[in-house]
Amino acid sequence: MIKLENVTKKYRTASGFNTVLNNVNVTFPVGKSVGILGLNGAGKSTLIRIIGDAEPPDKGRVTSEGRISWPLGYTGGFQGNLTARENARFVARIYGESTRYIEEFTQEFSELGEYFDMPLRSYSAGMRARFAFSVSLACNFDYYLVDEALETGDARYREKFRLAFEERRANASVILVSHNEQTIRRNCDMAAILHDGDLTLYEDLKDALHNYKVLQTQPTS
Amino acid sequence: MLSLPVSDKARNALAAIFDGITTQGRVINALVLRETKTRYGEHKIGFMWALLEPMIMVSIFVAMFANMRSDNPSGMALIPFMLTGLVPFSFFKDTMTQMQGAISGNRQLFAFPQVTTFDVIIARAILEIIILAAVFTFLLFLTDLAGWSIHVERPLAVLAACGLLCMMGVGLGFFFASLSPIIPSIRQLSSAVLGRPLFFTSGLFFTVESVPPFVRDYLLYNPILHAIELLRSAFFYEFESAYGDWGYASAWAVGLFTFGLLTHQALRRKAIVGL
Repeated sequence: MIKLENVTKKYRTASGFNTVLNNVNVTFPVGKSVGILGLNGAGKSTLIRIIGDAEPPDKGRVTSEGRISWPLGYTGGFQGNLTARENARFVARIYGESTRYIEEFTQEFSELGEYFDMPLRSYSAGMRARFAFSVSLACNFDYYLVDEALETGDARYREKFRLAFEERRANASVILVSHNEQTIRRNCDMAAILHDGDLTLYEDLKDALHNYKVLQTQPTS
Repeated sequence: MLSLPVSDKARNALAAIFDGITTQGRVINALVLRETKTRYGEHKIGFMWALLEPMIMVSIFVAMFANMRSDNPSGMALIPFMLTGLVPFSFFKDTMTQMQGAISGNRQLFAFPQVTTFDVIIARAILEIIILAAVFTFLLFLTDLAGWSIHVERPLAVLAACGLLCMMGVGLGFFFASLSPIIPSIRQLSSAVLGRPLFFTSGLFFTVESVPPFVRDYLLYNPILHAIELLRSAFFYEFESAYGDWGYASAWAVGLFTFGLLTHQALRRKAIVGL
């Protein structure tokens, strides 16, 4: 369970403050994968970073039970001039896992071949995402925070991840940010819409997707 | 479990603190290893350079001073004299310099919730101090082998003086590391206003005794000069400084250390976001 209580986050912009989260109260239930929908700039990535404790909220608090991954995306957390192996070891060390196990699992699952011992900066975006997902799968989290990166990589590999996540669904859930309805429909049990600082959670995925469609067609105020 | 007369609540609180400490230890350990890789990983010559740089510096200054005066300063042999100035000064200066880029250089790591700004800053300090200690030991050993026999008069006091220099460096390192993501130009300030002038006024190439009295009074405000004098007094049997003041240097060390940590505490949230 992840619980957000009175969470507020603002950003300073050229024309004053932009409130990304305005007193948000939401509970993500256990065992449910949630998709987060929102227009560009609504603050979806910020929300994911706050859930993952990578960034503190201005007000309010986030409480959770279970292990939460870092926000998975294209780059987050990795250093370009280190190899995938070295980055995997680093992750193992900070999470207190066996470096050998994490290294081996990641190497096998990521299918990066000889690139596994090359600096990450020589990777394409797809390869980076592949690496990030493989390390996080190796770590056995209860919650996987995914920031818009499932769409990368080739189709076969995407399918591999989808299956791996599906397998974990019994004891792990995904909180996923995406523009892509298809991705949300495939991976999530329910969805939430972030708009104008409010986060609304819908039990029914269909309602959420419908309301999101309506929102997208509205003229911007 | 020990059955101490404490409430469950207190026990849980203790367990949480213990958990926090072990996590932080793990993170700092991982960061030190990672910094070692990023600094020396790609070029095998990297660590050699750590040794070569002070050796070249010592050689240059020895060559310069060997021409300038015929007698050794205060009876200390020239090479150990230079060595006990340049390397200990690095404990202050290089530690500070390495630390100041810690937050900007590791920003992507804050995606991991257990990695804090404190961890990335202190990891750089730890690595730098370990390297310098190894370099110092190795160079002293080398000097001894080369024929200038090294007999340290009070080893513990030498360590204490190095400790004070580290503390000052770490204190200012925390200050600049926390401030530089918010005001990037502060880095130039740290090298132009602190690094360069202190290099020439901290007694790396002179003893306080050898300076004219009217300059001496001003120079003695510099706590690093005190630390270096104290270090040499403790190092050489031939030399006893009348000017080095443990109390004065320690007060500065504690003061700068506290100041650095407080600045970091006040600015860390802003520093993480950057400009």
